[in-house]
Amino acid sequence: MTDGPLIVQSDKTLLLEVDHDLADACRRAIAPFAELERAPEHVHTYRLTPLGLWNARAAGHDAEQIVSVLLEYSRYPVPHNLLVDVAETMARYGRLQLVTHPAHGLTLHATDRAVLAEVRRSKKTSGMLGAMIDDDTVVVHPSERGHLKQALLKLGWPAEDLAGYVDGEKHAIDLSPTDPARGDKPWGMRPYQAQAVDGFWHGGSGVVVLPCGAGKTIVGAAAMARSGTTTLILVTNTVSARQWRDELLRRTSLTDEEIGEYSGARKEIRPVTIATYQVMTTRRKGAYTHLELLDARDWGLVIYDEVHLLPAPIFRMTADLQARRRLGLTATLVREDGREDEVFSLIGPKRFDAPWKDIESQGYIAPAECVEVRLTLPDRDRMVYATAEPEEKYRLAASAAGKVRTVERLVAQHPDDQVLIIGQYLDQLEELGNHLDAPVITGATSVKERQRLFEEFRTGQLKVLVVSKVANFSIDLPEASVAIQVSGSFGSRQEEAQRLGRIMRPKADGRTAHFYTVVARDTVDQEFAAHRQRFLAEQGYAYTITDAEDLPTS
Amino acid sequence: MPTFSEHVRGLSDSALTALLLARPDLTFPAPTSLASLTARATNRSSLERALTRLDAFTLQVLEAVVALDPVEPITRTRLARALPGAPKAALGDVVDRLTTRGLVWGARHLHPAPGLPELLGPYPAGLGPVTGQAADLDALTDAPAGSREILDALAWGPPVGREPASPGAAPAVDALVDRGLLQRADGHLLLLPREVGLALRGGRTHRAAVHAPPAITSEPVPVEHVDAASLTAADDAVHHVHELVVAWRAEPPAALRAGGLGVRDLRRFATRLDVPEDTAGLVLEIAAAAGLVTDDGGAVARYAPTLLAEEWLTQDLPERWAALVRAWWTTARTPWLIGTRDARGSAIAPLGPDLQRPWVAPLRAAVLGVLTDHPGRSASADAVLDVLEWRTPRAVPPRHAIEQLLAEAQVLGVTAHGAISTAGAALVRGEDPASALAQVLPPAVDDLLLQSDLTGIVPGRPTRELAALLDVAAVLESRGGALTVRFTDASVTGALEAGLDGDALLARLAHHSRTGVPQPLEYLVRDAMRRYGRLRVGEALSYVRSDDPALLAGLATNPRLRALGLRELAPTVLVASAPADELGPALRALGLVPVSDGAQGTVVRQGTGTPSPDDGARPVAVPSARGGAGRPGQGRAAHDLAGPVLPEPADVRRERVAALVARLRSAAPAPSDAPGRRAAEPGTSEPSDALTRLREAIDAGRDVVLHVIDASGRPDRRTVRPLHLDAGRLRARDVAREAELTVAVHRVARVDVVGAADPPKEPHD
Repeated sequence: MTDGPLIVQSDKTLLLEVDHDLADACRRAIAPFAELERAPEHVHTYRLTPLGLWNARAAGHDAEQIVSVLLEYSRYPVPHNLLVDVAETMARYGRLQLVTHPAHGLTLHATDRAVLAEVRRSKKTSGMLGAMIDDDTVVVHPSERGHLKQALLKLGWPAEDLAGYVDGEKHAIDLSPTDPARGDKPWGMRPYQAQAVDGFWHGGSGVVVLPCGAGKTIVGAAAMARSGTTTLILVTNTVSARQWRDELLRRTSLTDEEIGEYSGARKEIRPVTIATYQVMTTRRKGAYTHLELLDARDWGLVIYDEVHLLPAPIFRMTADLQARRRLGLTATLVREDGREDEVFSLIGPKRFDAPWKDIESQGYIAPAECVEVRLTLPDRDRMVYATAEPEEKYRLAASAAGKVRTVERLVAQHPDDQVLIIGQYLDQLEELGNHLDAPVITGATSVKERQRLFEEFRTGQLKVLVVSKVANFSIDLPEASVAIQVSGSFGSRQEEAQRLGRIMRPKADGRTAHFYTVVARDTVDQEFAAHRQRFLAEQGYAYTITDAEDLPTS
Repeated sequence: MPTFSEHVRGLSDSALTALLLARPDLTFPAPTSLASLTARATNRSSLERALTRLDAFTLQVLEAVVALDPVEPITRTRLARALPGAPKAALGDVVDRLTTRGLVWGARHLHPAPGLPELLGPYPAGLGPVTGQAADLDALTDAPAGSREILDALAWGPPVGREPASPGAAPAVDALVDRGLLQRADGHLLLLPREVGLALRGGRTHRAAVHAPPAITSEPVPVEHVDAASLTAADDAVHHVHELVVAWRAEPPAALRAGGLGVRDLRRFATRLDVPEDTAGLVLEIAAAAGLVTDDGGAVARYAPTLLAEEWLTQDLPERWAALVRAWWTTARTPWLIGTRDARGSAIAPLGPDLQRPWVAPLRAAVLGVLTDHPGRSASADAVLDVLEWRTPRAVPPRHAIEQLLAEAQVLGVTAHGAISTAGAALVRGEDPASALAQVLPPAVDDLLLQSDLTGIVPGRPTRELAALLDVAAVLESRGGALTVRFTDASVTGALEAGLDGDALLARLAHHSRTGVPQPLEYLVRDAMRRYGRLRVGEALSYVRSDDPALLAGLATNPRLRALGLRELAPTVLVASAPADELGPALRALGLVPVSDGAQGTVVRQGTGTPSPDDGARPVAVPSARGGAGRPGQGRAAHDLAGPVLPEPADVRRERVAALVARLRSAAPAPSDAPGRRAAEPGTSEPSDALTRLREAIDAGRDVVLHVIDASGRPDRRTVRPLHLDAGRLRARDVAREAELTVAVHRVARVDVVGAADPPKEPHD
């Protein structure tokens, strides 16, 4: 028994006391195998999950190492059955390996015959496995490489994919030594970005988890340079595609002609092609019409931006891309649909992860202060709300009239900041735009107009911008230091992370970002807000609650 | 040579006391005379019972005595030669013990008690029949080839063998039989005479004495590890029972009509605890055995916490744990049988009547005794079984039960990593398990880390006060080395409902927190305070409303209406605690004309039977739980459900036995009386004596007068010669009618020996 910073609970959560002297060492020691669940101010909670343990196993950690870390840092005796469970879970990874056989091609090799027998008998693998070559090896139909990995994970015997990758079509890509956007000043990757690229490359395929604003695009660019092959980049939407393009031009030796955009508007296929999820999942008469893109070139690398948003059809397509190197980029592995296991089996294990707060404290993302402003509805509105149909309630609460005045006061508090106002309901956004005399960007705004407004906002010509949920994904607003959220989609944690990400990028003057949420008191609005805020607090952001009445009047 | 009866009569008071203490079955019911005690001590079932308690070594000694007795005089030295390897002191102890128990007797030469040779079978220690002929192994020198091999094959038993079929063997067998070294029996069987066997064994009866139980040789487990892990388990077990009490206080589940708890309620409880169902079943049974929950005995019986449970909830972990393990230690319940099928094919319900097994408590004591004898060693069920097999070879417990008892001990924290914990050992030794647990308990932590995500963490075991606070104000998230709780709107409101003032709650939280109360938590509490009490609920049976507040105010204060319990809720509404059909006429009597209010113009009526809000949720009072007489913790529930097999306290037993010895002594005839004079003893109506008397009559071929109650309840009296007594039936010949009859023993009212003095008058005779 030591006086360590870690308390191991029998439900497989690990509590890390952050003020402890050994907390940092302990965090580094447990990060490879435990998922950080929440990181509020005093005690961080990690959880041991099978996926986390397998991720660790894939990264070369073994059970003994993990057990000794737990024993070393634990303050109280570690439950014996938990240690046994860790060892058993980890031993399940790698009993089966996908390897390339010189004569038979792709095969599944087992180091444990009983396991091989078990998976061969299972219905879940039917049609994927061919003839036995010897007692330990069975032929795998190459087209089923991804499906088999999914099935094996479901059976609890995740396979280690050692079958390698096709080399892909060579195409030299270099990182440019200078940054044209900063007057051609030299730049270099931040240490954690370099670590992320190394982690990915040694692992083969997998996911890099970095917070918004931590420079995921650069990790992507560096991975492309390391690969030196033609690359397919899948992104969430067109705006995001343009940003990738700009960033690649800025950071690499690639020229405009080498980068193609494959979207609803343009269908270019070039050595580096950026396609949107939307166009990939477009169907006509029940068939995906743009599948040929996947085989249009001999891609050496496929990059998935925002892996946590990857739609189901992309998973299916990815299952067929198992012979190509895959890099997933995301701010969070938490998926609202709980398909983390598909990310694990189809894209690959987590290769790099760094807690937000750590990167923030290294000064790469802005510190933020979160405030929930509670607005008491007038009696008339409360009556309307109380008697409304359940499906109308959220809308009524979220778009309460009083919010406009509250937002006005908040904006008035930050006269020198770039303020972003985010909402769900268009009429509410229009009303806000009118009151604050600010432009409104919605899904109906054209890409050109959007980019113009973003540019003005960036340069500081525009101080206040009102955006709908189109702003949730992949837009780049470097100087927004204040975000005000007036309504959101039903308490999504992932949305919260994204919105917070909008203002996380480091500010030129290092000032603190502010994130306000305006909610109507005693309504479902407040309940949803509570759900989202829990996420923020768990991420370690200080948050406070104030009453709208207590805000200083302008 | 003296007889066993004489030996018994010659016993000193202290020896007699020792015999009765060592074989308690002889005192139930109390024998009336030394003669009947002798008879009882040598009957088969009592001997059998005495043998089941002997260990393997003692049995070896007894076998040696039984085997040698017909052949040669047995001195202690001879016995030592028969059992090579037995330490002299141990052997002496065993002989003394056997003598104390009346299984072996005789001063210079040892003899087995009558009845033992029959009980140990025809071939004790694998030695054949007695021939009375000294064995002459020298006769082997000129015997045909193969003779020695035949003898060797039978030497160490069994002494019975089939005649070898090979043609060369026949002359050898013949020669051996001729020389008296072998006997032929029916069906080509050969028997090795006992004397020959002994000679071949060199005078030994056993190859080696097994004078010590097999050792447990597993890897030692450090006692700190065991104690730490057992503490976690103990804490969990207490927590589980705590959850049970809290859950059932809020929602007492219905009992099945046949007794016990429904499987759905068991599952619900298991889900609530997030444990497997068998653990949940064990928790239920132990809570019931400890008298913490019981069925309330209502018309529709429900299980609910007892008053004792309320007290238990306020105790510290060691005391709470001790209450549970003490109940477990003596309970005769077998929770692992829950869900298995009984003889009728229906599933056995937890808390039901079918889980009672009287053998379980002694077995539990034996199993844990083995562990306690090997502290710091992890013992598997097999290892424990080996030891128990040595201890009582004639009553080997089922392996499955040992396995389950070990599992239960592990769940309760009596053991951990397969070894006994310090606190567990205290329980086994009859010391105070609570103080033993308290000694290994890490110091309680009074600190609470409050965080802005509305969680709170106690980095260790919370103090009782802190635990109570969190119990009422927060929701448990995870347990283990530390305690994680979450404050929610509902939990804080719950604390307010429990009577905690919001400001007091914040002050107490701030007191425990090193870093103050985070703003979101403070806001949450204030918000809950603001909303608390906004809706209020009360009871009324009818109401009066009017647009005229003055009229209503007059009614509320009218003394003639006081019985109606009118109260003003709002200026225009009065409520009454009387139903509307009383209220209406009462108002009419004042000359007012109330109009009935209701959707269809009918009088609004509500049921008159007011359901009490806490109906069924009240703790059930257990009379003896608080009564001075009962042992603490042994409420009615404990007796009904658990029926712990409580051993008679040693001092009580000693006193009872001493009184009995004195009684026997006064009833016993003078030692000079010959056994044959029994005929002079008066008749008896004492059932056990009657049986002795019948058995003696059978042995002696003597007639008795049998008083029987016939099927219609009439007494009848016959002179018979008893022939056979077995399995509760007496076969006898009616002397006068020359007919055989069979009588169930329980119909025998009285037995008089023919020729005895007239029986004393019995009132119903």
